[in-house]
Amino acid sequence: MKDKMDKLGARLREKEIRIPVDLTAGIVFFLVAGVILLLMPSQVAVSERDVVNGRAFPTMLMALMMICCALLVGKELYKIAKKKPLEYKTVNLLVEVKALIILAILVITYVLARTTGLFVVGAVFCALAFLLYFRCTKPLYYVITVGLAVGIWAVFRFLLHVRF
Amino acid sequence: MLQHIVPASGLLFTLQNILWINIGVFIGAVFAAIPGLTVILCVILFLPVTYSMSAIPGMMFLLGIYCAGGYGGSVSAILINTPGTPHAAATMLDGHPMSKAGRTKAALKIALYASTFGGVFSALALLFLGPQVAKLAAQLGTPEYFMVCVFGLTIIAGVSGKSMIRGIIAACLGLFISCIGADPMTSYDRFTFGINRLYLGLDVAVCLIGLFALVEIVSRAESKPGELHMDTRKMRDNGTITREEYKRMARPTLLGSLIGVMVGIIPGTGASEASWFSYSQAKNMSKHKEEFGHGSVEGIAAAESANNAVTGATLIPLLTLGIPGDGTVAIMLSALMINGLNPGLTLFTTQGDIMYAIMLGLVLVNIFMLIQGKLLTPLFAKVVSIPQEILTPIIVIFCFAGAYSVNKNFFDVGVALVFCVLAWVLRKLDMPPVPILLGLVLGRTTETNFRRALLISNGNPKIFFSSIYCWVFVGLIVLAVGAIIRGKLNEKKRPAQEE
Repeated sequence: MKDKMDKLGARLREKEIRIPVDLTAGIVFFLVAGVILLLMPSQVAVSERDVVNGRAFPTMLMALMMICCALLVGKELYKIAKKKPLEYKTVNLLVEVKALIILAILVITYVLARTTGLFVVGAVFCALAFLLYFRCTKPLYYVITVGLAVGIWAVFRFLLHVRF
Repeated sequence: MLQHIVPASGLLFTLQNILWINIGVFIGAVFAAIPGLTVILCVILFLPVTYSMSAIPGMMFLLGIYCAGGYGGSVSAILINTPGTPHAAATMLDGHPMSKAGRTKAALKIALYASTFGGVFSALALLFLGPQVAKLAAQLGTPEYFMVCVFGLTIIAGVSGKSMIRGIIAACLGLFISCIGADPMTSYDRFTFGINRLYLGLDVAVCLIGLFALVEIVSRAESKPGELHMDTRKMRDNGTITREEYKRMARPTLLGSLIGVMVGIIPGTGASEASWFSYSQAKNMSKHKEEFGHGSVEGIAAAESANNAVTGATLIPLLTLGIPGDGTVAIMLSALMINGLNPGLTLFTTQGDIMYAIMLGLVLVNIFMLIQGKLLTPLFAKVVSIPQEILTPIIVIFCFAGAYSVNKNFFDVGVALVFCVLAWVLRKLDMPPVPILLGLVLGRTTETNFRRALLISNGNPKIFFSSIYCWVFVGLIVLAVGAIIRGKLNEKKRPAQEE
């Protein structure tokens, strides 16, 4: 099992994706601002009597965001036209898979704590899951980490009177 | 001022406050000593602890973390050539070579003394300058306040990250997130998507846990697991600093403190900028330039005094105008406001005793930092080697417990997770997170002042150019934008010249 994972990890480590970061950021946030502007009428109720209504400030922000995004994209398109090098960011597939695993641990911790109503259950799971993620083989580390997880819950529950 | 000092001292010198200062100083130094854990992360994690406290002990605890974090970062920088916090990077240049030369304790002592001097200098600057700036702030009306917010956001957007355009996009995003919930003027709901809980808006502390703390955990995916092996037996020197070395420390320490205060007052800049600027100035002015980078006493003193001198100065715009000097004090604004302390002149008049107690407390924090530094540095050095396997889940549990305890609701833990994912995506797109934080903190103030000003003028935008103060801020914005663009252009030219 460990060998299989190591082999898979080695294969993923070699896979990299290069993102033209300014171009991507410009397009993504331009779209985000556009979607927010489209949603504005359904999400922000206004009264005709208002001199400056609740849509004014977010509309101004989104317009500014779109202008900045257009500048970013325009700068990159100019570089393409002039055949100048674009700014790229390299994303390693192994890193992203590991990040997804960590995110999954966080989400499961949250779901466990929420569904059981016992924060300590999520805390103990979180401690064990991260030790497994780091492939920890030292029993002492398990004892210390689980002990600390229960200890933190106890401090919040009994000293700071947070009921969970 | 004097009429507040005596009652403020009475409020400050209690056993409870002294205890919280020391707990804060200890936690801050330990956190900052561990590479990868930042002061901002520490303040976010421990902010919920202050919710059940009154203003003075709560602020003393957070200021203890903030100031000691400035010194703690230098411990790992000197010992293992890895800065515990980004602003300790300049200290590392001379601290580690000095440690390698067998003078680890001496290097740590120089860092501690310079940090303490910088911190006390900065606290005194806050004590004397704060009330004067507050008097000036009292003359500002709604259009001027809007311009102040725009000024703060412009600088922060400009100096955070590589590009000013990206900074503005991030600031807009932060400001937009602050719009979620009830409209501050009409109470109509905005962008709630039918989720009732969103009517109350998003709590800044919860968003920050996701944006700054949980995302650090996800970013562990980028590093290899393992321990940092630090041999504390290296600290075998007696730590003697010669009279000659003390003399050589004096000038860069004073210079660094002055630079730290000046840099700290400007919103958006921080300890990293101050320490690098001070380091380069000390090098230029030194008679022993050749020693810089090889264990220079002046180099350590300049960098450390500057990064701690920022601490009090960043509080000046925060307490007087509500504009946080850096990301960490932006979080402290929540601790102030939860106790009904709203920035401005009234804070120095109606709540003067509390305010002066906090400002005097900052001096006390630095004194306790010196005492703990002298007694506990070997312990701070040992925590550098805490394994990541243990540390990572503990931080997550703290984050979740902290997010839950803000409103005693699991919904907020979910919100923190959403912001964690958002922060990860932003990181992939090289978007700076600090302007988002400032947008979140300043969002309500900016919008309310913007709309109130337009309401007064019946929708005429000329009101934003109607007074001398407005024009002063317009001038400052133009100057700041010009300086930032010039700085960025110089940055781009520098590598080309080096090549």
